[in-house]
Amino acid sequence: MIMFIIRRLAVAIPTLLILCIVTFYLMHAAPGGPFNSERPLPASVMANINAKYGLDQPLHTQLYTYLVGVVTEFDFGPSYKFKDRTVNDIIAQGFPVTLTYGFWSFIVATVLGISLGVVAALKHNSIIDYFAVGISIGAQVLPNFVMAPLLVWLFTLTLGWLPGGGWNGGQFPYLVMPIIALSTSYMASISRLMRSSMLEVLNSNFIRTARAKGLPSRKIIFGHALKPALLPVVSYLGPAFVGMITGSVVIDTFFSTGGIGQAFVNSAFSRDYAVMMGITILVGTLTITFNMIVDILYAWIDPKVRL
Amino acid sequence: MITDQLLSNDLAEADVAGRSLWMDARVRFMRNKAALFFAVVLFLIVLFTFLGPLIAVTDHETIDFSMIGQAAEKGQPSIANGHYFGYDDEGRDLYSRVIQGTWISILVGVIGASVAVVIGTLYGAIAGYFGGRVDSIMMRIVDILMAIPFMFVLILLLVVFERSFVMLFIGIGMLSWLGMARIVRGQTISIKNKEFIEAAVASGVGNFTIIIRHIVPNLLGVVTVYATLLVPEMILTESFISFVGLGVQAPDTSLGQLINVGAGTLQYGTKWQLMFPLGFFVVLIFSLFFVGDGLRDALDPKDR
Repeated sequence: MIMFIIRRLAVAIPTLLILCIVTFYLMHAAPGGPFNSERPLPASVMANINAKYGLDQPLHTQLYTYLVGVVTEFDFGPSYKFKDRTVNDIIAQGFPVTLTYGFWSFIVATVLGISLGVVAALKHNSIIDYFAVGISIGAQVLPNFVMAPLLVWLFTLTLGWLPGGGWNGGQFPYLVMPIIALSTSYMASISRLMRSSMLEVLNSNFIRTARAKGLPSRKIIFGHALKPALLPVVSYLGPAFVGMITGSVVIDTFFSTGGIGQAFVNSAFSRDYAVMMGITILVGTLTITFNMIVDILYAWIDPKVRL
Repeated sequence: MITDQLLSNDLAEADVAGRSLWMDARVRFMRNKAALFFAVVLFLIVLFTFLGPLIAVTDHETIDFSMIGQAAEKGQPSIANGHYFGYDDEGRDLYSRVIQGTWISILVGVIGASVAVVIGTLYGAIAGYFGGRVDSIMMRIVDILMAIPFMFVLILLLVVFERSFVMLFIGIGMLSWLGMARIVRGQTISIKNKEFIEAAVASGVGNFTIIIRHIVPNLLGVVTVYATLLVPEMILTESFISFVGLGVQAPDTSLGQLINVGAGTLQYGTKWQLMFPLGFFVVLIFSLFFVGDGLRDALDPKDR
């Protein structure tokens, strides 16, 4: 197990490094610097600014300084647009928001998706099954950017039950729509995966054996069938998690929740490359870490995977 | 005697009517009522994007200045004045815009999927065919790329290098060939030990000719299936990018952009500005998923 984790880390670290380097060079390949405004600054002022931000150094020196800063002090540098804020400040403000609704969406999608899939498989070809399949097919074509306006139309404009946006410290009414919008399509995918793999497991020999020796259904389902049936779902959790973090871009834009997605889009439009890069690296790190956790989880559940 | 005769007739006939993979697939697909229905729907949508403009009053760019700011009161959909889907907030005919948006979305989906297919197939086939160290290095690269949050990198790309169609395709293509490469590699490995490849090697055919002439054609079934499933994903990606405001540039539009705009003006009571593009989007994605699913059932040799 430890060897496996070490091996995974050995891949994860170069990946992160590549991501850092690519985004860094991308940022600097951008036409125009961060301080080019409508009115060109005098050359001496420009030189001073560049010196202050270290932009007069050769690119690889800058990259090195940046990486050292990130690794040793967790310092992603200053924001180019907001003089009084660092990238860290911006992330520290937005990230908890994203994490809050991302986490709950993840829980909702996984729990509901798995339960729906299991129930559908257990009641195969019944009304419940068709209902579950119907929901999951319908929800597949409702990605977050389609769900968000529909929810607002229904709950805010028509029924007037929920506030149409804002965060307000993450109070419940403000959380409902982001979570529904973010989790729906993932719930659908998870329930489809769960249903088909559960059906496969339920028809396998060892379940027949368990039934033949007279185990109660509850024990068969929870003790024997659930674990192997979860495998495809577990491997889907990685992409699902990434999707939810990415979905933050839409959720924040639409509901003005103020997560890192909003910070990312704002920085994209104001060309605040330092912030964009910081967020990209943060999300990359999260993605890689999470995929690693999922892989380890997978290996732990599936006895066929040799570590 | 007669039975013999019949039998040989039967055999002869069976010989003549040898069923290829594709014929087989067509028969299976035709039997799948849902897939067939949605294939027809898909065809109708495509047909609509061609024929629809013929009955449009104005094209997607023309602005009716008297409508600006009054879309909510006067811009409702109406058959009488020819603006079947009403006006958008800038006084343009929504009917024409939806057609344009649908067309662009389909285009992005198809081109994006093609990019992914070409790169992914070649990459996967090369990795699978050569095997060994080449394979493990190439696949490690895929693993590494897969772990990168491409949506963020794509947005970064679009901002840094100005929004453009080409950049959008490069970005979307980059996002999507990875899965294809993995699938193709797996299939190639199972094909490359077959006799006909051995025969080709023995008769001195070059490696790349073997890949292009002998391996790739045998991958077409799998590739087709994943390509059709990729198209809706590409459309979703493009719509996502458009929703954020980095997609196709005005006056051109795409379904994602129309949905975004329609969602923004929802509070003023212009429901149709959201519902028409949304309807087209949902039906389009739905049909593509069903057709893809049907094709998978028809072409996947595992289910025979």
